[in-house]
Amino acid sequence: MDPYSAEGELTNIHNHFHQGQYQEVVDFDVSSLSPENALPARVLQLRARVALGQAEDVLADVQGEKEPELEAVAALAEQTLGNTDKAVEIAESLAQSTPDNATVQIVGGTVLAAAGKSDEALALLANHQGSLDAVALIVQIHLQNNRNDLALKAVVEARRWAQDSLLVNLAESWVGLRVGGDKYQQAFYVFEELAQAPATSSVRTLVSQAVAELHLGRTEEAQAALEQVLKKEPSYAEAIANLLVLSVITGSKQKDELTSSLAQADPEHPFLTDLNEKSDLFDKAASKYSAKVSA
Amino acid sequence: MQASSGMLTKFESKSSRAKGIAFHPKRPWILVSLHSSTIQLWDYRMGTLIDRFEEHDGPVRGVDFHKTQPLFVSGGDDYKIKVWSYQTRRCLFTLNGHLDYIRTVFFHHELPWIVSASDDQTIRIWNWQNRSLLCTMTGHNHYAMCAQFHPKEDLVVSASLDQSVRVWDISGLRKKHSAPSSMSFESQASHANQNQTDMFGNTDAVVKFVLEGHDRGVNWVAFHPTMPLIVSAGDDRLIKLWRMSETKAWEVDTCRGHFANASGCLFHPHQDLILSAGEDKTIRVWDLNKRTTVNTFKRENDRFWVIAAHPEINLFAAGHDNGVMVFKLERERPASTVYQNQLFYITKEKHVKSYDFQRNVESPTLLSLKKLGSPWVPPRTLSYNPAERSVLVTTPADGGSYELINLPREGSGVTDATESKRGQGNSAIFVARNRFAVLNTSTQTVDIKDLQNNVTRSFKPPVGTSDVYFGGTGNLLIITPTAVHLYDIGQKKTTAELAVNGVKYVVWSNDGLYAALLSKHNVTIVSKTLEQISTLHETIRIKSATWDDAGVLLYSTLNHVKYTLLNGDNGIVRTLDQTVYLVRVKGRNVYCLDRSAKPRILQIDPTEYRFKLALVKRNYEEMLHIIQNSSLVGQSIIAYLQKKGYPEIALQFVQDPTTRFELAIECGNLEVAVEMAKQLDRPKLWTRLSTEALAHGNHSIVEMCYQKLKQFDKLSFLYLSTGDENKLARMAKIAEHRGDFTSRFQNALYLGEVEDRIQMFKEIDLYPLAYMTAKSHGLEEECQAILEATGLSEEELNLPTFGDALTPPKPIVPTYKANWPTKSTSQSVFERALLGQMESLSLEDEGAANGVGVEADETAKGDALAEADEDEDAAGWDMGEDIVPEVEEGFVNVDTADAGGVGSSEADLWARNSPLAVDHVAGGSFDTAMQLLNRQVGAVNFAPLKPRFLEVYQASKTYLPASAGLPSLVNYVRRTPEESDLRKVLPIIPRDLEYLTNNDLQQGHRFMKENKLEEGLVVFRNILHSALVNAVGADSEVADAKKLITSAAAYTLAMSIELARRALDPSDLKRNLELAAYFTIPGIEVPHRQLALLSAMAQSVRNKNYNTALSFAKRILANGGSPKILENARKTKAQCERNPNDAVEIEYDQFAEFEICAASFTPIYSGTAYEECAFDGSKYHTKYKGTVCTVCQVCEVGKHGSGLKLFA
Repeated sequence: MDPYSAEGELTNIHNHFHQGQYQEVVDFDVSSLSPENALPARVLQLRARVALGQAEDVLADVQGEKEPELEAVAALAEQTLGNTDKAVEIAESLAQSTPDNATVQIVGGTVLAAAGKSDEALALLANHQGSLDAVALIVQIHLQNNRNDLALKAVVEARRWAQDSLLVNLAESWVGLRVGGDKYQQAFYVFEELAQAPATSSVRTLVSQAVAELHLGRTEEAQAALEQVLKKEPSYAEAIANLLVLSVITGSKQKDELTSSLAQADPEHPFLTDLNEKSDLFDKAASKYSAKVSA
Repeated sequence: MQASSGMLTKFESKSSRAKGIAFHPKRPWILVSLHSSTIQLWDYRMGTLIDRFEEHDGPVRGVDFHKTQPLFVSGGDDYKIKVWSYQTRRCLFTLNGHLDYIRTVFFHHELPWIVSASDDQTIRIWNWQNRSLLCTMTGHNHYAMCAQFHPKEDLVVSASLDQSVRVWDISGLRKKHSAPSSMSFESQASHANQNQTDMFGNTDAVVKFVLEGHDRGVNWVAFHPTMPLIVSAGDDRLIKLWRMSETKAWEVDTCRGHFANASGCLFHPHQDLILSAGEDKTIRVWDLNKRTTVNTFKRENDRFWVIAAHPEINLFAAGHDNGVMVFKLERERPASTVYQNQLFYITKEKHVKSYDFQRNVESPTLLSLKKLGSPWVPPRTLSYNPAERSVLVTTPADGGSYELINLPREGSGVTDATESKRGQGNSAIFVARNRFAVLNTSTQTVDIKDLQNNVTRSFKPPVGTSDVYFGGTGNLLIITPTAVHLYDIGQKKTTAELAVNGVKYVVWSNDGLYAALLSKHNVTIVSKTLEQISTLHETIRIKSATWDDAGVLLYSTLNHVKYTLLNGDNGIVRTLDQTVYLVRVKGRNVYCLDRSAKPRILQIDPTEYRFKLALVKRNYEEMLHIIQNSSLVGQSIIAYLQKKGYPEIALQFVQDPTTRFELAIECGNLEVAVEMAKQLDRPKLWTRLSTEALAHGNHSIVEMCYQKLKQFDKLSFLYLSTGDENKLARMAKIAEHRGDFTSRFQNALYLGEVEDRIQMFKEIDLYPLAYMTAKSHGLEEECQAILEATGLSEEELNLPTFGDALTPPKPIVPTYKANWPTKSTSQSVFERALLGQMESLSLEDEGAANGVGVEADETAKGDALAEADEDEDAAGWDMGEDIVPEVEEGFVNVDTADAGGVGSSEADLWARNSPLAVDHVAGGSFDTAMQLLNRQVGAVNFAPLKPRFLEVYQASKTYLPASAGLPSLVNYVRRTPEESDLRKVLPIIPRDLEYLTNNDLQQGHRFMKENKLEEGLVVFRNILHSALVNAVGADSEVADAKKLITSAAAYTLAMSIELARRALDPSDLKRNLELAAYFTIPGIEVPHRQLALLSAMAQSVRNKNYNTALSFAKRILANGGSPKILENARKTKAQCERNPNDAVEIEYDQFAEFEICAASFTPIYSGTAYEECAFDGSKYHTKYKGTVCTVCQVCEVGKHGSGLKLFA
């Protein structure tokens, strides 16, 4: 039986993980799990800890472990710490040696995709045997590559065998935010349901909800949601970034303040790097023009 | 033609004997009832049988159209009257009652009545609405042959074989059937009395007159349309004319001439003529007043049975033994000629008049030609001699004659032709100032005569000459039935000959280089040396033609005005409801003469032919102009362009992706083709695209197509030929993955990978092949391994001798990195111009924007199009490429075969979807955005726009946290959340114009009021910058946006002036006062202007410039507002009026109109030259041309772009 399915032992911890409730994952009582589920549960907990910013501890934790699952987690931790080359190296060798290991696929795929090797990541993930985690990753990689068509295809396919599971819903909503139109509203419903129920609410789902609202043009609601997030977790970079976008759209004055707090929370955030890049581009492009007569 | 000469037959049908005829009052239709029981409906203009109605049993003798309803009535030998609808094409009902053959049936002109005459000796009146018999008129004692209503009065006239004609009074019938309320008691009583007095009970119709005079049976009778006259035709071969008064009727005269039974007769609808037809096979025309024969038309074999006239136009029809003929009595083409801006023509009254095309006025009668020819024959041609101011008129009367008459000098009023020279001849035309040519067809001579009518030379034209026309100086065009000759008068010989059948008219182009030869169904265009340029055929008769100044021939058929270009391209310009004769085209006006010889002006739309002409002449400037100014988009123009081999131009008009794809392939525009193929994504299209791209050498597109089509083998071969080994290796992997061994083998072969091939052979158990491969490549170890695996030894094998193993050549040049030299695409100058135009870029700017240094000169100001130089290789054009957005990323770079790879993001689409700078900015395409702004408003200094650019860019994306460990998903914020069509999506615009108006503008006003000018200046500049990079939701909002920009510019200028004043050294009194005065000039809101005025007034008073202060005070008072300010102004005014003098002379003329130069803060008086900023409209002295505008700080002064575009 699939340990992640509705009746499986790992359902809850797995859902917590994907809802972004990492602390709940870490605090999950694993002692009562059957032995074969111990390792997957541990992997989830380790990944949650990585997500919570405890990559170094995790790395120390898995030091010397020989299971490919744990090696993959080590790669993830390395990557989070900025050692991309090393992480990719581990992931690639794992992909070579144990391409059929689900954890290797997912964690390794994540590492590869994050390192920009989306083709390799996709190749690795293509080996999955009905893993929704893998599907979600595939969808995200396609979306990152702006291949909305392929992403949509993957979701539709997954929907056929996985029905109404959390990950399919999430992946569908991600695609929905790209497609737009009616899909914005549908995505909003999914995120809102997660974000508003206390059992499933997390900063990530709240931000997702806010993003959907923003796309729907409901700036006030989006603002409220994002502020709620920042109250819970003041240095959550995604919330700051989206709030920043929102403040630009509404023309609010918070802009500069938010920019600096984003720079503090995550100096490498794409919003900032992108902006710098564009700023240079602007200067370069603008330098091509000049008045015929200088004043 | 069977009819005698001189008859103008328009239509003839072949059928059995025609007994009844009726013209449709509006349409070119004629109903013919036949002896064979059929009723035919013909279109006599087209000569086509529209319908047949066959329900009568036996001959049908009477038919008539209803004047207004889609109905007709028929009566036949089956005793039945049938009413039909020609719309539903069936018989509506039948009126029964007559007891013998029915001879005629006619509708009443206004009442729902039908009158019928029958062999049962009665005449009956029926109501076709309630389908009842109203009245039976008895009295004739033999067959009633014909009965007709009077066109106006309550009368019926009937003819009978009892030799009498009877006139019946049916006013009683009308009274009886009109509304009873209209009857007074008395009239009712008298009506009742009347009833009693009639002993037969026949009260409704009473015999008014019995006309006796024919001594045989009478076959036909008819009323005159307006006069109290009756005409009748009888078996006594006579046509009799009768007159009647209120009380009596009498015979007027008899027309003798028919030598067999006269079967029909009628009055000409608007001329004093009688027409009759008889069994003697003739149609005769009689003068109504003199009762003399005017004309006789004889037919060889057919007896005439019936004759009918069209109620409006000059057309008649006669039915005979073998069908029907439609004819007219005289030519209706008014004789006319055009000289420069004057048209000379002859009216129906035979008056010569002229018409001025420039003033559009008709002259009074210049000359009366009453005495020319015979009274019923109009002149045929008119030729004008401007040197002598004389006309040459020909008429076909008397076997053809001409007359040369001098036109009276201006204003001398109507004159009869007093002094005239005349002579015999069929054609006469001026060929020189003092010479004219006369053709005499009977003697077949052409005489050249001087103005004294003396023959100067004479010659025999080619055999069968029917007409002569002017043929250019010293030449004649001689028309024979089968050819046209160009005849040199001096040399007396034919210099050129062209075989054209039946030419009737020749029309010279205005420049005298071309002539159009018109025949009945053909137009042939020839050069002045009689070389054929083009010819075209019309199924409908061609009536006339005239040349456009641009060399387009407009010609009229019976129902259309059409055009033809010199190359033969033709088309319809407009439809005609009546026949006209074109004489001149000027702009959108076509001048013509109608059949009553009245000049008329028709409006036409010359766009289509002008466009085509421009296309032929490759006049791109004109084409652009036309495209810009009219909506030419339509299937026909696209088809035309495609047919004519201009697919690249057609491409610009088409939206439909399939058509676009086709056109793009046709003109080799691969970029568009790729785009469209991507949109449509059909294998067929990819296949075609791949073939086309391969032909171009564009292998990256070929690669993409193959990828789309999953044509692995082709892809492999392509990689082989481009030397792309990496991808070839990948193909091998894919083949392995797919389990396709053939493909794998092929790829291995391409790659020269022997091991892989061996491995593969082993996998599929083809050990012999594996062994051979290994052996031939000298891989002994491998051989051994194979032998071991198969359990054989080398000795057991029977090996053939090996040659050298083949190794595939190694690529030397990495051609895959770039395309092969591609076939140059047919992107024309025009196309580039169009591209520019579509993005609303002015052509002139295109060059400058790209730094080529095409100087923006003065002429560019008004019409940027004028700059679209015809010069094909103008360097500036080459820059057009830059506009085409780079779209191919992610397509060409597809590097895994199963269509993985990276697509283009929505942000890339924005730039593609929109011509607005702001959308390019949001998409991160700053350089194209800058290009756009540069072209639109001449933006050159972009630095101040940086915050706005980044702001717009920042607002465009959100970050969605998705899978743990991966960066957030970027999503793109759309302007309209409802839109999901990727071809239409556009980015959100932060601080749109509404926001700017409601927030920033208000804030700016507040700063103005609070006197925080520095802050205000920043705000207003910010508004300008934000408005520059912005978009509106509807075309209607553009005006609001422009208003906002103008207002913000005015405030910026005003504040700058005041700030400059404050920065002045207070000792510079003059400048101080001037600036204070100028501060009041920009168009800021009135309350704020009041502040400026108050300040200026105070300054002036303080410095004793009372006169100037007075003007400010007056302006304040005129503006109105808060009482406090007004009080202040009033006081100042009073104070100043006591001493209206200025202490300091300043450059401020309170009475002059002027604006302020934004750079120097000095006045620009109205009327003097100035430059302006294309964006905010601020004005500058001309010397500031080329500097950066001080108001917006972005645009270059005097650089005129295509205008800011805020709405796509």
